[in-house]
Amino acid sequence: MTHSTQVSRMLDDEHRSNIAVLGQVEQMIARETRYDPGSAKLLGQLVRLLEHDVQRHFTFEEEQLFPRMTENGDGGMALLLQEEHDAIREVSAELLPLAQRAAAGDIDQQAWSALRPLAKELIERQVAHIQKETMALLPLLDDILDDDADRELAFAYTAT
Amino acid sequence: MSAGVAAFLGGARSRLLPASVTLRFFAAAALFHLLAWLALAAGAAQWLSFGGGLGWPLAALHLVTLGVLGMTALGAGAQLLPVATLQPAPGWRLLGSLWWLYTAGVLALAWGMGMARPPWVAVGGSAVAIALFAWGVLMLRNLRGARGMPGVVAHGWAALAALVLVLASAASLAGTWLGWPVPGRALALGVHLVFAPYGFMALLVLGLSFILVPMFALSDAPAERDQLVSCGFAVLALTLGGLAAIGIAPGLLWLAALAAGAIAVAVHLRLMRTALRTGLRRELRRSFALVKIGWAGLVASLALALALVLEVPLPRLQSWFGVALIVGWLLSFLLGMLQRILPFLAALHAGGTGRRAPTPSSLTHERALAVHFGCHLAALAGLALALLADSVVLATAAALIGAAGAAAFCWFTATVLRRLHGSRA
Repeated sequence: MTHSTQVSRMLDDEHRSNIAVLGQVEQMIARETRYDPGSAKLLGQLVRLLEHDVQRHFTFEEEQLFPRMTENGDGGMALLLQEEHDAIREVSAELLPLAQRAAAGDIDQQAWSALRPLAKELIERQVAHIQKETMALLPLLDDILDDDADRELAFAYTAT
Repeated sequence: MSAGVAAFLGGARSRLLPASVTLRFFAAAALFHLLAWLALAAGAAQWLSFGGGLGWPLAALHLVTLGVLGMTALGAGAQLLPVATLQPAPGWRLLGSLWWLYTAGVLALAWGMGMARPPWVAVGGSAVAIALFAWGVLMLRNLRGARGMPGVVAHGWAALAALVLVLASAASLAGTWLGWPVPGRALALGVHLVFAPYGFMALLVLGLSFILVPMFALSDAPAERDQLVSCGFAVLALTLGGLAAIGIAPGLLWLAALAAGAIAVAVHLRLMRTALRTGLRRELRRSFALVKIGWAGLVASLALALALVLEVPLPRLQSWFGVALIVGWLLSFLLGMLQRILPFLAALHAGGTGRRAPTPSSLTHERALAVHFGCHLAALAGLALALLADSVVLATAAALIGAAGAAAFCWFTATVLRRLHGSRA
C-alpha cells in the first residue's frame, strides 16, 4: 500500500511487523498445546510488542490522531478505534504476565493453558483493529495532514 | 485506498440497522437453505430429467434463489449499500415488514411449485414481487443520493434495472401457470433465466465483493476505474443476452454476450486475486475456500453456457449448467461470505456497551461450519456424480447430505444469535 504521509507510512510499517509477529504466534499457539521452550524467543517478541509497541502506538494515535479525526468529522470512527484500544489493553494486561513467564521459560501447564486463549483473543482483536486502521485511518491521514503537520508528528513519534 | 471504504468502516456502526432486522434476513436464508435441499431430495427423481414446469425441483430452485440468495441479498444490500453510498440506512420498520411479506411469499410460492398448485404460486409470487419491488424502491432512493464508491453504486444501479426485468418476466411466467393468455412464455423464460442469476444476483454479488473482499483480506480496494470496467462489460453482456433471449440474432448475440461476460468476470477475478495477494491477511480459511469455489463455479457456468449455445451434444447439459451456476457459484460464494459477515455484524452490534465486546470468533461455531463445509462439497460432488451416472439414489443422497450441511449452518447461525443475545443481556 502506498501512503503519501510519513506518519501513515510509519504506522503502516509497524502494522506490518506486528501482523508478522502475531501471525507466527497464532500458528505457534494453535500447534503447541504444551509449552515448548523453543518458543521462548517468539514469545519474547510478543512481550516487546505488548510492552512497548502497543502502548506507544496507541498513545500516539489517541493523543495526536483521534482528535484530528474528530475535528475532521470522523468522530464515529475515532470512537470505534478508541473502544478497540481499550479492549486490546484489557487483554494485554491479562496476557502480559503470562507471556513474560513463558518468554523466561518459567511457565507451568495451567498457566500455558490460560495463555493460549488470551493470545488468540489478542491476535484476533489486533488483526481486526489493524484492518480497520489500514482501511480507514491511514488513508484519512493522507487527506487531513498537511506537510508541516506530517513532519512535526513524524518527528514527535520517532522521538517517543 | 478508497475513501469510500474508510467511510464504510467509519460509518459502520452509525449506519447499522437494528440487529433484529438485518439478522432475521440471514437467519431466514439459513432455514431456506435447509428447505431447499429437502425439496431437492423430495424431487430428486424429477430433477434428473427436469426440463421446466411445476414440481419439487422447481420449488428447490426457488427456495435457493429467492429463499437463500434473494433473502441474503435483501439483508446485505439494505445494510451495506447505505454505508457504501454514505446515505442513511433505509427505514428499519418497513424493512422488517418486507421480511414478513417476502418470507411468507417464498414459502407459499415454493409450496405451490412443489405441490403443483398454481393459485399458491400466484399468491406467493405476488407477495415476493411486491416485497422485492418495495425493497428496490428503498435501494433506489439510497442510490440516488450516493456520494461514495462509484463502482459499487454502478453495480447497484445495474442490479436494480435487472430486478425490474426479473419481476416482469416472473409475472408473465406465473400468468401462464394460471392459464392466463400471456404471450411469449419462451421469451419471458429466457429473460428470467438471464437476468435473475446473472443480472440481479450476480451484479449485487460482484459489486458488494468490492467492499467485502478487501475488508476481510486487509487490502486496498480495487481502483474505481477497474470496477467500472468490470461493471460495464457485465451490463453489456446482460444487454446482449437479453436481446438474444427475446430472439434478436440469438446465434450471434449469445456468443457476444458470453464474450462480454467472460471479460467482465476476468476483470473482476483479477481484481479479487490482487486484493487477496496483496492483503495483509492471507489466511482466510474455510470461508474463502467456499468463495474461491464460488468463483470457479462462475467460470464453469460461463463455459457450460457456451456449450449450450454451441449445442454441444453432452447429456444433461442444462442440469450441469444449473448446478454450476446456482450451487457451485452463487450458493458456495454466498455461504462463504455469510459465515464471515454474520459474526462480524454480530460483534459490531455487541460493541458500544462499555464492556469488552465479544470477538467475531467467540460468537461463531467452528465445528458446525466444518460440518457444513464438508457436506457442501460432498453434496456438490454428489450432484455431479448423479448427473454422470443418471442415478436417482445418488441425487437423493447428495440432497440429503446437502440438507445435513444446511442443518449445520442453521446450528452455526443459531449459535451466533444466541451468543449475541447473551452478550447484550
